[in-house]
Amino acid sequence: MKKVITGDHAVAIGAKLCRVEVVPAYPITPQTLIIEHIADFVNDGELDAKFLTMESEHSVMSAAAAASAAGARVFTATSSQGLAFMHEMLYATAPLRLPIVMPDASRTLGGPPGIWCEYNDSMGARDSGWLQLYVEDNQEALDMVIQSFRIAEDKRVLLPVMPCLDGFVLTHTVEPVDVPQQEEIDSFLPPYEPDIILDTARPAMIGTFMPPEYIMEMRRQTAGAVESSKEVIQEINSKFAKKFGRDYGGLIDTYRMDDAEIALITMGTVTSTSREVVDELRQKGEKVGLIKLRFFRPFPSRELKKAVSKLSALGVFDRSISYHGGGQVYNEVRSALFGMTIPVINHLAGLGGRDVTKEQIMKMFELTRKAAKGEKVNEINWHDTRGETV
Amino acid sequence: MITIKELPDENLFTAGHTACPGCGVAMSIRNAIRVLGKDTAVYVPASCGVVFGTTFPYGAWKVPFFHTAFENTGACLTGMQAAFEKKGKKVTVVGFAGDGGTYDIGLQSMSGAAERNDDVLYICLDNEAYMNTGIQRSGGTPFGAWTTTTPVGKHIQGNRRFKKNLGDIVVAHEIPYYATLSIGQPLDFIRKVEKAKNIRGFRFLHMFTPCIPGWKMDPARTVEVTKRAVESGMWTLYEVENGEKRITYKPGKMKSVKDYLMMQGRFRHMSDEDINALQMWVCKKWNLHYKEKGSPDICEIAPPEEHHAVTEEHREMHGP
Amino acid sequence: MAAQTLAEAAVNEGNYAVAFPFFGAERRGAPVLAFTRIDSKKIFSKTQVYNPDCVVVLDDSLLDTIDVVSGLKPEGIAVINSKERPEDIDLGKIINTATVNAISIALEILKAPITNTAILGAFAKATGVVKIESLEESIKRKFGEKLGEKTGERNALAARTAYEKTIIGKSRGIKKLEARKQWLPTYQEMPVGGSLIEGKTDAGLIGPGSFIENKVSGWATYRPLRDREKCVMCLLCWFYCPEGTIHRISNRGDLMTNYDYCKGCGVCANECPVDAIKMVRARV
Ligand SMILES: Cc1ncc(C[n+]2csc(CCOP(=O)(O)OP(=O)(O)O)c2C)c(N)n1
Ligand code: SF4
Ligand code: SF4
Ligand code: SF4
Ligand SMILES: [Mg+2]
Repeated sequence: MKKVITGDHAVAIGAKLCRVEVVPAYPITPQTLIIEHIADFVNDGELDAKFLTMESEHSVMSAAAAASAAGARVFTATSSQGLAFMHEMLYATAPLRLPIVMPDASRTLGGPPGIWCEYNDSMGARDSGWLQLYVEDNQEALDMVIQSFRIAEDKRVLLPVMPCLDGFVLTHTVEPVDVPQQEEIDSFLPPYEPDIILDTARPAMIGTFMPPEYIMEMRRQTAGAVESSKEVIQEINSKFAKKFGRDYGGLIDTYRMDDAEIALITMGTVTSTSREVVDELRQKGEKVGLIKLRFFRPFPSRELKKAVSKLSALGVFDRSISYHGGGQVYNEVRSALFGMTIPVINHLAGLGGRDVTKEQIMKMFELTRKAAKGEKVNEINWHDTRGETV
Repeated sequence: MITIKELPDENLFTAGHTACPGCGVAMSIRNAIRVLGKDTAVYVPASCGVVFGTTFPYGAWKVPFFHTAFENTGACLTGMQAAFEKKGKKVTVVGFAGDGGTYDIGLQSMSGAAERNDDVLYICLDNEAYMNTGIQRSGGTPFGAWTTTTPVGKHIQGNRRFKKNLGDIVVAHEIPYYATLSIGQPLDFIRKVEKAKNIRGFRFLHMFTPCIPGWKMDPARTVEVTKRAVESGMWTLYEVENGEKRITYKPGKMKSVKDYLMMQGRFRHMSDEDINALQMWVCKKWNLHYKEKGSPDICEIAPPEEHHAVTEEHREMHGP
Repeated sequence: MAAQTLAEAAVNEGNYAVAFPFFGAERRGAPVLAFTRIDSKKIFSKTQVYNPDCVVVLDDSLLDTIDVVSGLKPEGIAVINSKERPEDIDLGKIINTATVNAISIALEILKAPITNTAILGAFAKATGVVKIESLEESIKRKFGEKLGEKTGERNALAARTAYEKTIIGKSRGIKKLEARKQWLPTYQEMPVGGSLIEGKTDAGLIGPGSFIENKVSGWATYRPLRDREKCVMCLLCWFYCPEGTIHRISNRGDLMTNYDYCKGCGVCANECPVDAIKMVRARV
């Protein structure tokens, strides 16, 4: 059924279709619409879930952890300051292998305070063990909530998943979304049946204080789960594509890369705009392509290496900065491509919600092209930034 | 009502745990869980209790046990209870948090669960300081007490604030049940735990739990010290059920607070002036609480000069 | 504190020293471990000590359960707080051993069973690594600062007395001590998320209730003796015991204390309304 809805609404519908059982919630712009929609679903009797109005995000993730450990399918959503506030609990939930799904409405993490799109909120959580993915439209937002639960609850993975959708650009923008039928989702996503939970019939201890003799093995185990999620993500992507006809490519997606000489790596909605830019440049005869980084955790190093193998230069878009030079994606990509000789340059744009225009993206390709020709270009380029000449 | 004899034999918090000898927290946990029984799931935040109760791969708990962080007991209880309810399971969901985890860093989370009147039992094990990190002051630390962050210095001696009135804060949430407990009154203790177990909604049990190194006291006197606390008015035993306050034990004649302070190294440095100030605070509390004036020979005159003598041995026993 | 005091004394003699405890999960009373390294030049190693030149044992009851000399260098020496002579102590191998009755020295001079300063005196005598004078000095300062001059001096005297009374010889080597088994799963064997239900491994129970594998009697200096005749079965001791190691038996008509888990706190004796429980020294 086609509906014209916001990204937040699409996410809420996705959660409802997954028959989530416990939803601890706390408002923050631009995530708020998500929990408001869920509250409506619950109060209208459309969703049989425990909706918990918590008093902070730290408590949201605490309640989520406890409910998940007690065997419930748990959903919540947050953004920016809220994500930062629950930071401690992100680190608690992943190694405990609690498959919570929590969309993040990407928003700048102050200071300076702001409410618009930037990835510095979720990037701060990249080492917590949560899987992270970035979507480019509302359809993908809905579909990935559903896929996220399947990935999260797969016995090979059992990790929490954070689908990130751009604040306002998606959260508050309506576009047509094909909403799957409940029966279709029921047959795609089986109920959550964990092995060990908090249960008086078979008591377990979960979250035990742990001495050094065991923690290395625990870390190795969590790292292994993140690693094996790669395979699961691809598998579930294929199954989803087969059932619903929408193939997102899994860990990465590529656009017009076949004979591309240069390409851009993008995340989130900038990918969407870049598709049009690529088309326009192609029309002019330029051999350019696009790589959409869908999952930032696990980081698809192997897939990227393959995708860029024939390029003569690569541009990497970042919507947040790692304050030691360049964005987080850039740094990850560079280490993934270690040993390869192609020039890689960084394009910082859209921080704090500044609009990323087609002109900016054109410029990114132009600079990347220069690098391909061996001309001197900056390694890190601040686009549309006063005082900076790119 | 259950008497001591009727308590079950089974240890749901087994021996072999690693609490200090004589630990009042361990004593209270053991007896609370004895009354609560098997159909209980517990959350323990960062505190002594989490460390001495479970250390991977070992655990003392024979009921489901969960731990994640320090400041989130209320929220974790809420989440656990919601999951059990959704799954149609009847489980008493219980939190065992310290005073630091309740008076201070966990106040918000506790308040949230209380205000939502979630169907959980919150137990605060009040040993009047952050013990797990080595005895630092909390909002529950009494006036005058030495802790490592309220040291006995040349200029300032011990904690300068009076113990926070947590009871009134909790009761202000208009919850179904709040009670104070002391292990030194076993029947009152058992009755309140049993009562709290059977009430629906947010229940709060506030337990007075001596700490041997934190209070610098003889481990054999854990129970005795709680009795002296009650006899002096430092700790009062009461319950508030749906807004109705009831005193559940009233000492016969008020005892001087010095009887209580003398047993503990953490108070040994207190000046007459400070002891007097603390005594006046207790007298005021006594008056408000029991609706009668404290004993006139204690509350109407300044305490005599010489107070609790501290021997050299005492000093050496308890170190800095 | 003993390890730190020793380090300070060594530094005052112009050496370089580091001292550090190993932080275990136990609370007060449980066996603890501390290390000291002393050298004439700066020490860079930040690891724990596995093959010491000297092992100092403050509580000889540990000898029953722990192979304290397993890592000791062959030419090293064990310094033990014990009323026995070295040749009467069985360490599982014949090795240089020094003994001193630090408890009785401490009780006599400090009026408390706190042996960490006395044992330093024995260490000085047994190893010669630091001079007793330097030790006395740093004890006086370290303890004096915090507990008053008099206490500092008494502790220094305890060290000096122990120094003089230390007996040096060789241990016996008869008994075989098996290292306590520990469950050490590989990362693949590690339970998912570290979550455990009741289980059994080669090394014993794990999971809920498995702390009963942890015998804590070694913590106890005293243990309770109950006079059955006097006991009125009020059950207060059973109720109060923080360890849950007093059990109701023979159809609940009697009590039994399992000393494996008794930490000797004395609460039961203190609370017994008819004084039926006496605390006696756990080891004499
Ligand atoms: C956010 C956070 N801050 C600080 C700590 C360190 N910490 C762990 S336990 C503890 C003290 C606990 O005190 P209390 O709640 O009174 O329990 P007790 O140990 O006294 O029983 C502290 C400060 C922590 N674990 N988490
Ligand atoms: S430090 Fe205090 S509260 Fe902690 S285990 Fe020891 S006696 Fe109990
Ligand atoms: S001495 Fe303490 S631990 Fe031992 S039996 Fe008595 S109360 Fe229990
Ligand atoms: S407290 Fe004393 S009288 Fe009561 S059961 Fe124990 S030993 Fe017997
Ligand atoms: Mg405390």
